Amino acid sequence: MEIPQTLYSALLSADEDYLIALCNKGTVNRAKKDLSAMQPEITQMEGEAVTLTVGDTVCTITVPLGSSTCTCPSSSMCRHRISAILWLKEQAAQESAPPGEPAAPSGEEPPEKVEDEVAALLSAYPTQGLTRQLGERRVSALVQRESAGEGAAIREGSAVTVELPWLSATVRFICPLEHSSCTCHSRSFCVHKAEALLIWQLRHGVVTADSLLAAVRNDTGSRLDRLEICAAVQTTLTDWMRTGLTRLPASSQETAERLAGLCHTSGLPALERAMRRLHGELKSYFARSAAFRTEGLLRRMSAVWRLAAALRKAPEQEALRLAGTFRDEYQPVGSLQLYLLGLQEVNLAGGYAGTVYYFWETQQHRYYAYRDLRPIFYEGRRQPGPIETILWGLPGTLRQSWNCRLKLTGARVSGEGNLSATTQCQGTLLQKSPPGLVLPPSAVEEDFSSLLARSRPGLGELERLAILRPQSGELQEYDRVEQRFSLRLLDGAGRDVWLVVRYREGMQAVLEVLEQLADQWEQNPDLRPVFFGALYRERDRLCLYPIECFTNWEGTP
Amino acid sequence: MNHCLDAMEARLTDLLQTGLDTGGTDAGRAFARLAEECETYGLHTGSALMNRLAGLLDARAHALEKEDGPLLDALFTAERYIALCRERLQETEIQRAWQRDCSQQTEGGTHL
Repeated sequence: MEIPQTLYSALLSADEDYLIALCNKGTVNRAKKDLSAMQPEITQMEGEAVTLTVGDTVCTITVPLGSSTCTCPSSSMCRHRISAILWLKEQAAQESAPPGEPAAPSGEEPPEKVEDEVAALLSAYPTQGLTRQLGERRVSALVQRESAGEGAAIREGSAVTVELPWLSATVRFICPLEHSSCTCHSRSFCVHKAEALLIWQLRHGVVTADSLLAAVRNDTGSRLDRLEICAAVQTTLTDWMRTGLTRLPASSQETAERLAGLCHTSGLPALERAMRRLHGELKSYFARSAAFRTEGLLRRMSAVWRLAAALRKAPEQEALRLAGTFRDEYQPVGSLQLYLLGLQEVNLAGGYAGTVYYFWETQQHRYYAYRDLRPIFYEGRRQPGPIETILWGLPGTLRQSWNCRLKLTGARVSGEGNLSATTQCQGTLLQKSPPGLVLPPSAVEEDFSSLLARSRPGLGELERLAILRPQSGELQEYDRVEQRFSLRLLDGAGRDVWLVVRYREGMQAVLEVLEQLADQWEQNPDLRPVFFGALYRERDRLCLYPIECFTNWEGTP
Repeated sequence: MNHCLDAMEARLTDLLQTGLDTGGTDAGRAFARLAEECETYGLHTGSALMNRLAGLLDARAHALEKEDGPLLDALFTAERYIALCRERLQETEIQRAWQRDCSQQTEGGTHL
């Protein structure tokens, strides 16, 4: 049978470097070994494709060679396809050799035409796309490395091999570029490929270091269009879903971070936050954290996908709402009449610690918070505990203003209800008042049935805040196994909310206060304490994480 | 119902682990079985979603040019559906516990 002409040319021009670029050296060697022990058989020729049996599998070899298929489950270029290509190449070489003479050893000298084709493709690749993908920091580092002579090693032939020792990656470019490979195993155009291609363009004078730096600094086009970003996010997720978590390269973490950065510069804070959460989940997976759950990753991916899809379809006005607001974007809200209801010390997993102050706004009947959080680790050294600052021109610290009324003028608030510490805001400290005289009775829940809707997962902390005044309580025995204190709070109809505090470092004082309160309540059943905290659900229970407990709600604090 | 939701979630996470290219065909058959199971629990939307996933995965196996957008739409809609079902189920369980507790007032602790 005669091999179709275009396939024939492709086979003759595919040397060993080209085949290694299609998969890797190990697969090519294995294919050669397999071929010495078996004889493929051509079963069909249709158009430019040749179908042949290789062992137990059936391979269809077509042009470009990277688009060939095999019946084995491998999702990348397998040894069967390489065996088939090698065997067909041998047949093609024999056909081209003059009768009576042995076939010339194939693949030693790459035909110049192929080399030129790859070079033309690499030169024509838009530099702007590469610089946008890499970002200013990476491009600057790349230029610096090149000028210092510590750049990548480039070998050219039918495949252009670029070794990036600082990234522990080797990129092999072939024609067509989409079949190029990288040692990170990413099938998409990964950052390694982008960096390798930009280095090649720099070395070949397609772009100069100066013009590159100037372009990257003045690139006003780096604010990509909303639709472009959302499409890129969805393409990345599609790629990950096709590949599967088990084969996902570690560079996916970088991709997620880069996409989050692009969302930030393009004014899509909600999508940025969703991408950062996804990035955190991927980090946890690649760090083999015991806390990692595939369900969690699926949830994060789902949230990103749905938001990106909604942003793509939404009209301009709706898209603005979906895009959300940056956490640090504080909007002026004029004057606020606040009452400092409670505060709690927090130590967040992200390495931040400090105090969160919860305010009740007496006009709007809603909660606001001020978060005084600082990094507790900086450059590997432990920082001293957070220092309380004096805000809004008040005469003392916020802690000293507990249960006091405050009047803020020129206040600024973020979309989530967090107050800004801006100096443009001026505060006036008013008198200390019992909470029962400031907060209306409607803010205090005595019937727990209305709390269920406010404990929905996904709601922000301020939306889950509640003040409860139970009819009675039941102190549960301290759980020594899980080290937790539980107090069952009951309303008049017997509906319960569980106040649960797990023992951990720094919680000793909270537990002591709660135990004292339980003793006091046992001795005086008419005490009617009031609990202020955040609602959440745990299995078939509605729970409250306490922030403050008041034993004399209407009296002097 | 929880068992059915767990099975649906497990199948979705399996698909995430293996990837569409490797585990797509097997997952398609499993989703078709899950569609029937959903019907028996009265999860009609769940059943429709599972059938859609099964159909899309089956069609994908026979397509040369893979267009995975609609498949991922269905997959992540199914994930959201499971989350909402769990949320609703949890609310029902809390309300049921409240109704139960109205008749038996104590959980064994010290009454205050």
